[in-house]
Amino acid sequence: MYDRKVVRRRRAALAVFVVLSIAILTAYFGESGGGFFHTLQRGAQEAVAPIETGASRALKPVRDLFSWAGDTIDAKDQNAELKKEVQQLRAALAKSQTALRDAGQLKALASLQDENYFPQSTAPVTARVIARSSTVWYSTLKIDKGSSDGLRDNQPVIAAGGLIGKLTTVTGGTAEVRLITDGQSGVSAQVFPAGVTGVVRPEVGNPDDLLLEHVESGRRVTENTLVITSGFTSSRTESLFPRGIPIGRVTKVDLDELETYQRVHVKPFADLRRIDVVQVLTRRGVAQQNASVEDTGG
Amino acid sequence: MILSVGAFARVGGLLLLTVVLQLSALSQLNLFGGHVDIVILVVAAVSYYGGSVTGCATGFSAGLLLDLLTGTTMGASSLVLTAVGYGVGRFREVRDPSHGLLPLAVGTVATACWVVAFAAVALMLDIGARVSALVLRDMIVTVLLNALLALPVFTGTRKLLRPSLAVDPLEVRRRRRPPREAGPIGLRGLEI
Repeated sequence: MYDRKVVRRRRAALAVFVVLSIAILTAYFGESGGGFFHTLQRGAQEAVAPIETGASRALKPVRDLFSWAGDTIDAKDQNAELKKEVQQLRAALAKSQTALRDAGQLKALASLQDENYFPQSTAPVTARVIARSSTVWYSTLKIDKGSSDGLRDNQPVIAAGGLIGKLTTVTGGTAEVRLITDGQSGVSAQVFPAGVTGVVRPEVGNPDDLLLEHVESGRRVTENTLVITSGFTSSRTESLFPRGIPIGRVTKVDLDELETYQRVHVKPFADLRRIDVVQVLTRRGVAQQNASVEDTGG
Repeated sequence: MILSVGAFARVGGLLLLTVVLQLSALSQLNLFGGHVDIVILVVAAVSYYGGSVTGCATGFSAGLLLDLLTGTTMGASSLVLTAVGYGVGRFREVRDPSHGLLPLAVGTVATACWVVAFAAVALMLDIGARVSALVLRDMIVTVLLNALLALPVFTGTRKLLRPSLAVDPLEVRRRRRPPREAGPIGLRGLEI
């Protein structure tokens, strides 16, 4: 059934080619770079190089076509991966930026209370802003602390920089803050250290500009001076705000038509459009002695 | 396979064309992290139709050509392709398969043997660096891509080698088909 000759020939062929391969392999490893097989290799490569170059050029469109298809598939995968990565990075960035902003605001709040004019023993309660009004006509915020945290109506609220408003509606776990830029807001204030008094009123729609009104024309108010809460007290009424909370800085002084009063423009210290953390001063506090201002404005 | 000048010329030309095509175009096409390797498919096809002796001679020649033109360690590809060519040829001689889809299986298995054996030889010889696990992905992709190309490559090779083939598996299959029955339906199966 088996032809011995064929079997022998077959085995011999296999043995010859395997032995030949191993011999070439061994010789190749054993010889130097200038040996027979290395030279043969270089010669063959040089001889076939023009064919390879020609073939490579001729087949470039085919390669490009396949590469384009492959690149498109790769690009789709990469696009999906990058989109995912961008989402993750955005989330991480938002988180770190929020933390950074919160840290900055908390730091500013802490440093605010170290100022020599800021009232002492105000028992501040820190809260986070959870909502804000959507129109410019009503400048209110909602914070995540309420009566259960000791908050009551009309308590002053500060943010990084200075006063931002007062509590209007307090519930068990939340409270609403009416900002000093709200149309209904009015804060008795004085220019520090000159002691000129007036009422800070908003200019609706422009949270960067408050007006210190009812300032007598005879009292000189200069630009870049500090405006703080006056915390006036009389036998019948008392200001909601304790004396010494910074409000802003005087940017411009106008005289009204009758030149009876001055209209003082004040830029608030607090960035009222970007408030994340606030402090509610739950006690009225005591004005510091070294920050006493000679109140001659009446 | 009938050994003739024509057969040598055909196989030699096919191998040269295949190696050049492989090196100039197909090796540069990165598909799904791997690439098509038609050299092994052509060696497997020639071995499948030509038998074991033709297979190991073709494998040796293709390997030598590949090593010469790529500048890699000479003898490594020859050794592996000789073994693969012989194995495919012997499979055909022993089993005498004739199924139409068999080239697909033969091409796939031959490619898998080639990539694994060549990796083993390369590792044993001169690879001193760390090997990434992505090599596995490359090997798997090459096997899968070759599986897709196996049928057309085998068909083309068979057509090219047909004048020199002693036995054509496709013809054998055709001959094995039972003759179509003829005559009136009612008389089929009856000895009349």
